[in-house]
Amino acid sequence: MLNADQIRDVLSERANARIYSDKKVHDVREEMWNLHEKGELVVIPIEQKNKPIEVETLFGWKKKIPTDYLWHHKSCGQCGNIPGYPSSLLWFMNQFKTNYLNEPHQTSCTAWNYHGSGTSNPIALAAVAVRNWYRAYETGTFPLIHCGTSFGDYKEMRKLLVENKEVRDKVRDIMHHMGKELVIPEEIVHYSEWVHVKRKEMASMVKMKMDGITATVHEPCHYYKMVPEDAVYEKDTNGGQRPAPPTAVVQALGAKVADYSTWYDCCGFGFRHILTEREFSRSFATLRKIKPMVEEAHADVAITTDTGCVTTLDKSQWIGKSHGMDYMLPVLSDVQFAALAAGAHPYKIVQIHWHSSPTDKLLEKMGFDVAFYKKDFSNYIEELQKGKEPEMLYKPHDEMEKYFAVNKGHVIMDN
Amino acid sequence: MTVLQNLPRKKTEPVQSSMVIAGARPHDDQTEALAASIFRDFKSDFRYKEYVLGCINCGECTTGCPAARFYNFSPREMLQIAYQDDPLVLLDAMQEKIWACCQCYTCNMRCRFGNDIAGIISVMRELAVKNGLESAKEVLKPYSRILLVVMTKGTQVSPDMIQPDFFADWGPFAVARQTDIKTLRKAIPVDVLQVTDSSWEVSMQTSLELFQIYKEAGVVDMLKSIDPDLVEMIEDIVDEWREEFEEMKEKYGIGV
Repeated sequence: MLNADQIRDVLSERANARIYSDKKVHDVREEMWNLHEKGELVVIPIEQKNKPIEVETLFGWKKKIPTDYLWHHKSCGQCGNIPGYPSSLLWFMNQFKTNYLNEPHQTSCTAWNYHGSGTSNPIALAAVAVRNWYRAYETGTFPLIHCGTSFGDYKEMRKLLVENKEVRDKVRDIMHHMGKELVIPEEIVHYSEWVHVKRKEMASMVKMKMDGITATVHEPCHYYKMVPEDAVYEKDTNGGQRPAPPTAVVQALGAKVADYSTWYDCCGFGFRHILTEREFSRSFATLRKIKPMVEEAHADVAITTDTGCVTTLDKSQWIGKSHGMDYMLPVLSDVQFAALAAGAHPYKIVQIHWHSSPTDKLLEKMGFDVAFYKKDFSNYIEELQKGKEPEMLYKPHDEMEKYFAVNKGHVIMDN
Repeated sequence: MTVLQNLPRKKTEPVQSSMVIAGARPHDDQTEALAASIFRDFKSDFRYKEYVLGCINCGECTTGCPAARFYNFSPREMLQIAYQDDPLVLLDAMQEKIWACCQCYTCNMRCRFGNDIAGIISVMRELAVKNGLESAKEVLKPYSRILLVVMTKGTQVSPDMIQPDFFADWGPFAVARQTDIKTLRKAIPVDVLQVTDSSWEVSMQTSLELFQIYKEAGVVDMLKSIDPDLVEMIEDIVDEWREEFEEMKEKYGIGV
């Protein structure tokens, strides 16, 4: 049995000298900085004000995770049908007095379309990425990517822009036509990495009963399979053999993480499949993921860190009853689980009512008075229906921002 | 110098059109011409050389593939098709099989050659759309609302897409909340999420910039091969927005 250091050595050696082909894995960030020096592109730097925390990736390379002055690159799937995912993250940032921007001046990465239906191309994908990055750049913030697919796609786009001059020139032209520059962030950072480096602070906020909770972790493919060398690993988590987030977070919160045989499998999302070929998605999710999580690991909850995985694992379960598979395992993102552990309102903040698999048992086990919170939320809905202004996590944008990206340099949560 | 240096390298001589891959369909001259054209574009795409590096048919990719468990699909077969020089077999794979892939990248991570199998399948899909193949039209038929949203707003799933009659299998919780979705969206404590027709509220400037990207990058033309009516509708929407945008610039005294 190899230890974590030995495993890392084997992986590094394999990547640095692939014996079957000429393809080497190299750190694209070095060439990115060279191009920055030559004026070919502008690197958005991680500065002191971003309060970076250093972590290690698959081969032991260093990666800086900025923790302040962040630009939220939202996920279309999260915002569309799991809104408690981003609201839990913003809630934590308010607790930590983090400076951030959450704007209407963002598009998704549009990679769902590319990977799902082939209706895009590398130039468009790269230009969409740069347009979003530029918005963070011009507001003095650093992009924090909520979606696993966007995280993977943006790393592919970074590589493409660094290694392919033709694509770089074309994208730079498009940006110039819009009065923008070709920019690339110093690091591509997934929100789960922010949660990971903030886990001790989160753990200090735990108010609920966590020691009786057993969680299973589903590691999102696009977090660690798309560009494996950039995912965060730690020697002390999962023996250094699997990514550290979100396992380390769940453990820091005081819950138990249980293993199951199909941890490596995808969730069955498949982009187009989850919408128009759901018989595949739900079969795979139920048989290959939920079933072993419940039968092997006896999980109370499944925790993951990506949009498609929460959706697929959560939504695919109800129909399983027709085949006698009545698992009903709650599925949450790491940050929703952490917010619950810290006693955030399950409905107003964690927005748990958007999930299809029932969560009452889990909430009760954590010590929530479910009936009280349900009644409280129901009263709140009634008040909203009567015209009450909704409670907000930050001051809403001005009306003119429905049209224009005008708040350049102004950070909403500036302390 | 390694022991594996003598493994077969990429074929350099074209082979005769074959039936090596099961399921190849009968073809005519028109089909052959289309296949030849797609094949040329495929092999000359800058991604081809980076993604297709070699294969010893070990099958590691297929062993971990979720789609292979439920479809007549194998990433190993897809890579073999990409690797060999048979335009008709390539076209045949593009008629159906490429659409089974989940794009999870499990095959990539397992491949000892470092092939980007998911990536080369994306290139095939892109060519299927660009060439208006029937398979692409069929696959994208139920997708037009999503394409409309992504082309105009740059987001994909909107809350009002989860309609009870189409998502009954997601259960009563997913369906019941549709009864008052506007209030439920209002109860999200994040202003830009309090919309129902898009994942978040996207500013008009952002939408117009996105469309400019699609136009300049050739995506609008690409979509015309699949759904010209949809493209016309999108262009009409964008034209109207441009007019409104100019009016708003005057209203707010802004020179963007």
